[in-house]
Amino acid sequence: MEEQIISKASVDLTQDLPVAIYCCDKNGYITQYNKAAADLWGRHPMVGKDLWCGSWKLFNLEGEPILLDECPMALACKEGRVVDGVEIIIERPDGSRSHVKPYPSPLFDSHGNISGAVNMVEDITKQKRDESAKKLLSNYSLSLIEASLDPLVTINTEGKITDMNHATVDITGISRSHLTGTDFFDYFTEPQKAREVYLEVFAKNSVVDSPLTVRHKNGKLTDVLFNGSVYKDERGNILGVVIVARDVTAQKLTSEYARSLIEATLDPLVTIDIEGQITDVNEAMVKATDKKRDKLIGSSFIEYFIEKNQAQIVYKEVFEKGFVMNYPLTIIDGVLTDVLLNGSVYKNAQGKVVGAVVVARDITALKRIEKELIEAKVFAELATGIAEETKNKAENAAQIAEDAVKAKQQFLSNMSHEIRTPMNAIIGFTKVVLKTDLSSKQKEYLTAIKMSGDALIVLINDILDLAKVDAGKMTFEQVPFKLSLSISAMLHLFETKIQEKNLELVKEYDNQIPEVLVGDPVRLHQIILNLLSNAVKFTNKGKINIGVRLFNEDEKQVTIEFSVTDTGIGIAKNKVEKIFENFQQASSVTSRLYGGTGLGLAIVKQLVEQQGGTISVTSKIDEGSSFRFTLSFLKTESKAELESEIVELDREIKNIKVLVVEDIALNQLLMKTLLDDFGFERDIAANGKMAIEKLEAKSYDIILMDLQMPEMNGFEATEYIRKKMNSKIPIIALTADVTSVDLAKCKALGMNDYISKPVDERLLYSKIVGLVKKGTHRSGQQEQTTSNIKKLKFIDLAYLTHHTKAKPDLMMEMISLYLEQTPPLISIMKQSFENKDWNSLESALHKMIPSFSIMGISTDFENMAKKVHEYARMQQHADDIHDLVLQLENVCSQACIELKAEFDILKNTRK
Amino acid sequence: MKIENKIKLFLVDDDAVFLKSLEIDFLNQADFDIETYSTGEFCMANLSHNPDVIILDYHLDGIDKNAMNGMDTLDKIKAFNPDIPVVMLSSQDKIEVAINCMHHRAFDYVVKSETALVRLKKIITTIFRYKKMEKELNWYMERM
Repeated sequence: MEEQIISKASVDLTQDLPVAIYCCDKNGYITQYNKAAADLWGRHPMVGKDLWCGSWKLFNLEGEPILLDECPMALACKEGRVVDGVEIIIERPDGSRSHVKPYPSPLFDSHGNISGAVNMVEDITKQKRDESAKKLLSNYSLSLIEASLDPLVTINTEGKITDMNHATVDITGISRSHLTGTDFFDYFTEPQKAREVYLEVFAKNSVVDSPLTVRHKNGKLTDVLFNGSVYKDERGNILGVVIVARDVTAQKLTSEYARSLIEATLDPLVTIDIEGQITDVNEAMVKATDKKRDKLIGSSFIEYFIEKNQAQIVYKEVFEKGFVMNYPLTIIDGVLTDVLLNGSVYKNAQGKVVGAVVVARDITALKRIEKELIEAKVFAELATGIAEETKNKAENAAQIAEDAVKAKQQFLSNMSHEIRTPMNAIIGFTKVVLKTDLSSKQKEYLTAIKMSGDALIVLINDILDLAKVDAGKMTFEQVPFKLSLSISAMLHLFETKIQEKNLELVKEYDNQIPEVLVGDPVRLHQIILNLLSNAVKFTNKGKINIGVRLFNEDEKQVTIEFSVTDTGIGIAKNKVEKIFENFQQASSVTSRLYGGTGLGLAIVKQLVEQQGGTISVTSKIDEGSSFRFTLSFLKTESKAELESEIVELDREIKNIKVLVVEDIALNQLLMKTLLDDFGFERDIAANGKMAIEKLEAKSYDIILMDLQMPEMNGFEATEYIRKKMNSKIPIIALTADVTSVDLAKCKALGMNDYISKPVDERLLYSKIVGLVKKGTHRSGQQEQTTSNIKKLKFIDLAYLTHHTKAKPDLMMEMISLYLEQTPPLISIMKQSFENKDWNSLESALHKMIPSFSIMGISTDFENMAKKVHEYARMQQHADDIHDLVLQLENVCSQACIELKAEFDILKNTRK
Repeated sequence: MKIENKIKLFLVDDDAVFLKSLEIDFLNQADFDIETYSTGEFCMANLSHNPDVIILDYHLDGIDKNAMNGMDTLDKIKAFNPDIPVVMLSSQDKIEVAINCMHHRAFDYVVKSETALVRLKKIITTIFRYKKMEKELNWYMERM
């Protein structure tokens, strides 16, 4: 009973235990059980009826069924021993399984016989599940570890490898089993350093990014960064170290690539720390400073610049602002390198500034290029300067050449004057002597002298003419003349010569040609004279034919073709082009045989072309030559002037009083002789002043006035006579050189005519008689003067020709502008003068003035215009202003007419 | 001199003969790009052609009383672009006129005479030398 009580008590005790406890008798029937046992079974068994394990199927861990009498409980009952908890699997009738550990022990009665067994069953299913989960987890982390490409090693406190991953095997090339237990340090190039790292881990519990190099068994090296930390047991005892070695080969490669980039750059690169000490440099910096790299590192950054203060500022600025830009400095070395500094700070992972990178851009080349650029620019400017100078020189040379040409003309003009004067006397007196009684020998010699003199005069005239043509000073008159008479008179001159050579002269004159034409008969004479004398000279047999044919006729003008054909020696074909050049004859032989200067045809060509005509020649050796030229003449209704024809000596007119004004004694004597011969009364005055005195004392019919005289020259004297004495006495100018300027001046001053020296006695006679007769027969002397002035040109295109470089287009343009502008100005001038509108008058003259010099109108007229302009400006009415206005009107109108003619000539030439 | 483009010259004068003569003179001297105008109005209308130098007659209202005179033209040009150098040309040789022109910012004043062309040439040379110096100065200033 007591036992039962105890038993009862123990059963009560066991009832609440979390472990299933039950008892069975020796037959295996349940005697007692606790609650946990019922839970385990899944039901409440019937005591004494159910077998202890009758409701379970049993399996061992391998899943094989365990026979009931072999189960631990059965063993405990049968063999009466305590069976140690062997894990088995139970399967309940509902199929659920549990892992259990039974701890059965036999129960003995008081006799020591086996009475049953008591079993304690521990349900380990949950535990088991946890374990398997744990195992899975462990496998997972292991595979992670294995999968890592970074070598992972655990080492124990002695430094022996205890475990490693596959990456470690790969990196060392040694198998897992061989690695385990070996010395960790042996696998590094620097075992000592590895050992230090290892000790460091133990000392500090961890190590971060310690660089080491692992050696593969075949010698391949791998750069790694070591990170390690100790691991401890539950009680905190250090068991060993886990080390992760990060393979940084790729990283190092990248870094080396960057480094090589840095080294390769030509700009010096420096890193400095906060104290300004150099921590790293590149090769360019080494070169720039010419110092060793290890010397540079650790030295002060500012030491390497000339401007240490400036460098100091850069250093400060970069740390203050965090950057610095384009700061110019000079690096010291052998050759001083100019640089621009650019820098910025760099920070560590915590964002703290640890130093600065400074890039020094080498601008030596830049500066050199800049310098070269400036030099090149300076050089270019210099070159431009030289070019300009050369241009000026060329211009000067052109000026000098022009001056030389002018000097030549001046010389020729002077020479011809100097030669003409004595020639004048020689020829004149020879003529006078020839009229006296002479022996035949004397007559022959004197005739020879006269012929030579004539030839010389012709030569001088030729030279002078050419010079004038060259200077553009050749002027052509526009006077009415009778062409047929002109031709007859000329042929008359050759009659004797032609008879001498026994040649035939044929004249073919076209009767359709108008009787009176307007042109320059003197120049026409000159042309035909030259051609005829050539024809006569070079023809020994046969005939000379002169043809004058009407070529073209319209309302205003006629074009006439002249031809001179001979049966002479002819001209070779290759010489035809040359014969019109200066000093050219067809061959040197001809010049020896026939003489001559070779100027004749050159003059002819110039004379024809300047008048807008053309000349051509056809010739055959030994058969003859034919020269043809065309000239245009204006038609006119007026009669040809008498004086252009030679008046026969009329001995009836005797009572003419002539005043000769001439300073050279020889010429005085000659004039005296000639005038005596004419039967005229004559007085001689040595200069203008004396002439005026004589004029005041006595009255004369006509004055012959030399132009160049001492005291008072011909121009001054004429001006005095016309303006002060108000005399309208006819004045004939005696001039040695008939230049246009002089002639214009003569006309402007009111001279009536001129005669060139040496004086042709018949011409002189006719002019004197003509003027005196007109003076006596015609009432209006003034008319005569103006009509004479008409023959002279007001304009002189020399300036315009020079100015436009003789381009006809430009000249025509200028002339047409003048023709357009001037007539309205003239009418404004007149109108405003009449209306006393001084402002308009001033404006009109203001605009007129510049054109005078452009069109070569004499400065006398320009001064006239200026005078009127001045009066108008002062708003004064002067007495002579009226005359001046009239004169200006006349001059400008005439100029317009002349310019129109020039314009037409230019137009024709251009065609 | 050919490094630069042609110099563009405006010639303004109501005297057509003189204007043509001046144009021919300039063309004989160098290869200028010349535009000629008979009135100040025409000149103003064509300022957009960007002349380098303008040579302007003082007496533009000589015949047509309503025409803009030289001084007004000068003022208008300067208002359009003060940097265009204008050289006044006149047959007036009165000093007051010249001074007045200079007060209106003319670059120079030339009296019409035989020497006028030489003077104009010199003035144009001076203008371009001055312009070049100014350009160079700027060039150096910019690099200081």
